[in-house]
Amino acid sequence: MNRREAILQVALTMGSALSAPSMAAIVAGYQPHRATKRVPSAFALKPKQVVLLDEITEVIMPTTSTPGAKAAKVGETIQLILKDCYKPDQQEHFMKGLDAVEAESQKTHSKSFVELPIDQKTAILKQFEQLAKTEAKQQPKGQEKLAKNPETTLGAFAPAGSDQTEAKLVDAETGAVVKDEKKNAPLIPFFKLVKELTVLGYFSSEIGCTQALEYVKIPGRYEGVVKLKEGQKAWAT
Amino acid sequence: MNLNLDAKKGMTYDAIVVGSGISGGWAAKELTEKGLKVLMLERGPDLKHVTDYPTAMKDPWEFPHRGKIELWAAEEYWANARSGGKPGEDQRHMFTKDVDVPYIEKRPYDWIRGYHLGGRSIMWGRQSYRLNERDFTANLEDGHGADWPIRYKDIAPWYSYVEKFAGVSGNKDGLAVLPDGDFVPPMQMNSIELHAKAGIEKNFKGRHLVIGRPAILSVAQKIHTDGGRASCQFRNLCVRGCPFGAYFSTQSSTLPAAMKTGRLTIITDKIAYQVIFDDQKNKAVGVRVIDQNTKQHQEYYAKIIFLNASTMNTAWIMMQSTSKRFQNGLGNDSDQLGRNLMDHHLGAGASGEYDGLKDMYYYGRRGNGIYIPRFANWGDDKRKDFVRGFGYQGRGARQDWVAGASKDGFGPEFKDSLTKPGRWEFNIGGFGETLPDPTNRMRLSDKKDKWGLPIIEFDAGWGENTIGMRKAMMNDAAEMLEAAGLKNVKTRNDNDKNQGIGIHEMGAARMGRDPKTSVLNANNQVWGAKNVFVTDGAAMVSSSCVNPSLTYMALTARAADFAVKELKRMNL
Repeated sequence: MNRREAILQVALTMGSALSAPSMAAIVAGYQPHRATKRVPSAFALKPKQVVLLDEITEVIMPTTSTPGAKAAKVGETIQLILKDCYKPDQQEHFMKGLDAVEAESQKTHSKSFVELPIDQKTAILKQFEQLAKTEAKQQPKGQEKLAKNPETTLGAFAPAGSDQTEAKLVDAETGAVVKDEKKNAPLIPFFKLVKELTVLGYFSSEIGCTQALEYVKIPGRYEGVVKLKEGQKAWAT
Repeated sequence: MNLNLDAKKGMTYDAIVVGSGISGGWAAKELTEKGLKVLMLERGPDLKHVTDYPTAMKDPWEFPHRGKIELWAAEEYWANARSGGKPGEDQRHMFTKDVDVPYIEKRPYDWIRGYHLGGRSIMWGRQSYRLNERDFTANLEDGHGADWPIRYKDIAPWYSYVEKFAGVSGNKDGLAVLPDGDFVPPMQMNSIELHAKAGIEKNFKGRHLVIGRPAILSVAQKIHTDGGRASCQFRNLCVRGCPFGAYFSTQSSTLPAAMKTGRLTIITDKIAYQVIFDDQKNKAVGVRVIDQNTKQHQEYYAKIIFLNASTMNTAWIMMQSTSKRFQNGLGNDSDQLGRNLMDHHLGAGASGEYDGLKDMYYYGRRGNGIYIPRFANWGDDKRKDFVRGFGYQGRGARQDWVAGASKDGFGPEFKDSLTKPGRWEFNIGGFGETLPDPTNRMRLSDKKDKWGLPIIEFDAGWGENTIGMRKAMMNDAAEMLEAAGLKNVKTRNDNDKNQGIGIHEMGAARMGRDPKTSVLNANNQVWGAKNVFVTDGAAMVSSSCVNPSLTYMALTARAADFAVKELKRMNL
C-alpha cells in the first residue's frame, strides 16, 4: 500500500475528522517550514571504493530469502551519511579501511576483493572484525571522556562562567559538547562503522522495512498482549 | 487626532494573550468562550494544523540520513543535541535553532524551545499527571521555598475540566500519590510490563506500576470529534505533529475552539518584550512588540493581559517591563522574579532483560509508557538522604535490529537473527523533584540579540538534594527490576546533564501568599498589577516530580474564570 492509499484508507475510517484539502496537502508532501541550505561537504569515495563498499555491505547483509544490501542501495546511504554526519578525520579513517580491505585481498589472494568467492570475502572481513575490536580496546571509554569534560558535569558543581553565545561543537554521536575538536570521540574502527551503517541503512530501507521486517504504516490500534505467530518477523518500527 | 484615536482603537482588545503554547492556547480558548475579544501574540511563524506537519506521514526510508544527525544540525541545534534531543530531519523543523536565539550560560543550562504557533504543545511529551494533595503543602512541610497559596481542592475541579477537553488517557488507579482524573480509556500494557507490575507490587508494599497517562485520545469522545479530533492511530510519531489531532496541542484542540467563537485574533511573528504599565492608572494597559522580520515596534492595548510566553520568556518580558512603580521589573517587589528555577532531574534508573515470554508480542506503536508513582518519602518509606521524591517512566519491548547491530557477526545467519523479535527488555528512568532555590536564576545580560533585546543569562544547577535522590533513583530501580526476575540488570546515573534537560522549566515568577516573597497571588495575578496574569510554568511554587503541563492548563482555566468574573465586577 503506498502512502496515498494508506492515508485515504485512514481518512475513510475516520469519517470527517480531516478535511479533503488537508489530506491532499499531506499526500502531495510539503517542505519543512524552516528549510535551511548548507554548503555540502566535499567528501566523496573514489569509483573503486564505491564498488568495494557495495560489495562489503552485501557480505554483511546478503541476499537470502529477502533482497540484500545492494538491492536496498545501502552503499549510497552510507556515502551520504559519511559525507554529512562525520568529520573529515573519520571520513579519512573510513576510506583507509576500505583501502586496507582491498590491500589485504591483493596480498592474500592476488585478486580484488570484489572478485573473491564469498568464503574468502567472509574470511577477510572476519579479520577486520577482529581488528576493530583490538582497535576499540586501545581507546578510552566514552564515559570517562564525558566525566572529565567540565561542561558535562552535574550542573550544580560545574565551574561558573562558561559564557556561550556562539555555535557549539557537538559530538554528533554522543551529543556531548566539546570545546576542543581534538578532544572529540576517538575514531570509530572501520569495520565497526561500516557494519553499524550497513545494518542501519538496510533495516531503514524500504526493502529492509517491508521485506526483511514487517512494516505497518498505520496500525490503527495497540494490543499489548499478542501471541507471536509461527515465523513472525519483527516489526520494522 | 481622530486618526490616532482610531488607530489605537484598532489595536485594542479585551484581552491579550502572549504566547500560543499549552497555557496560551487555554487562555485564548477560555477568554474567548467567556465572551472576550482576544488577541493572541506569537513570536514565531504560523504553523498550520496538519498542513505544516511536513514529515508526519513519511516512512523511515524517506529520510536520507536515516536518523543520523548532520554535523551542521548538531552545531546549530547545539542545546538540542547536547541534551540528547535529536535534531534529525524528521523533527528538527519543530524546534528553534539554538544559534538563532542565543542565551548565555553562567552555569550550563539546556533551553529547548519551539518558537512557532502552538509552541511546544506540538512536540511535548504529553504525559499528564495531577499534582497530589501533599505536593501543595510540601514547601510548608519542609521549609524549602514559599507556601503554595492554593491547595489541591482549589485546583481539582479545574483538573477535571481541562482533562475532559484535552482528553487524557489513563486508568483510575485509586492512589493518593497520583490522583485519578477524568480519563478517556487507558492504553494497554504489554507482556513484560504486566510481568514487571506483578513482580514489583508483590515484593514492595506501597509501590505501584500503572499505565502512563498521556493527553492522547485512545478513544475520541464526542467533545473531541466535535472539535475535529480523531482517535490515536498508534504510529508513535507524535513529535512530528499529528494529522489526526489525536494528541492535545494548541493546533488540534484549544485553537479551533477559540476560533469558533469568532472573537480570536492571532498575530504571529511579533516578539512581545514589555508590558506597558500606566503609573497613573496603576495597572497595565498593553504590550509592546517587535516584528521578528521587519523589526518594527508596535503597541497593542487591552483590559487584561495573560503572559503565557513560557517560563523563561514570561520572566524575561516582566524584567523588561520597568516603570516608575516597578523599577526592578513588573511585580518584582519581592526580588523573586527570575529566581527559583526548577526542572526535573532525570537520567538515573535501570534496565534489564527477560528470557521468558518468548511466544508473546504486541501490535501497534504506543506513544506512551508505564509509570511508577512516587514512593520515596511517602507513607512509611522515609529517606535520610533527601527530601521529596521521584517517579519513574519506562517501557518494555522486544529487542530489534538496533540492539543486534552491536552484536558480533555478519552474513546470512546474522541477518536472519535480526529479522526476528529479540529478547524482552524493560527500562525505567526516574523523574526527580527539584527544590525551589533563589540562587537558581535567570537574568537579563547586557548582551543584545538581533532585535536589540537583552539576552538571557542562566545561572542554575540541580542542588545538593538531588545527589542522594539520584542514588536512590538508580538503586531502587535496580532492586525492583531484580525482584521482577529480570536479568542483566544495568544501572545508570548520568550526572552530566544540565538543568533544563527535563524541558520542564518552572518557577521564575512564583505564586504565593505574600507580595514580599512571591510575584503572583493565589489567582495568578501579578502583585501590584492586578490585570496581568501569569499562568505558565513561571507560576509554579514547587516542582512535584510529575510532568507539569496539565497543572498549567488547570491554573490557566482557573485564572481565566477569575479574570472574567473580576472584569465583570469592574475590579480590573
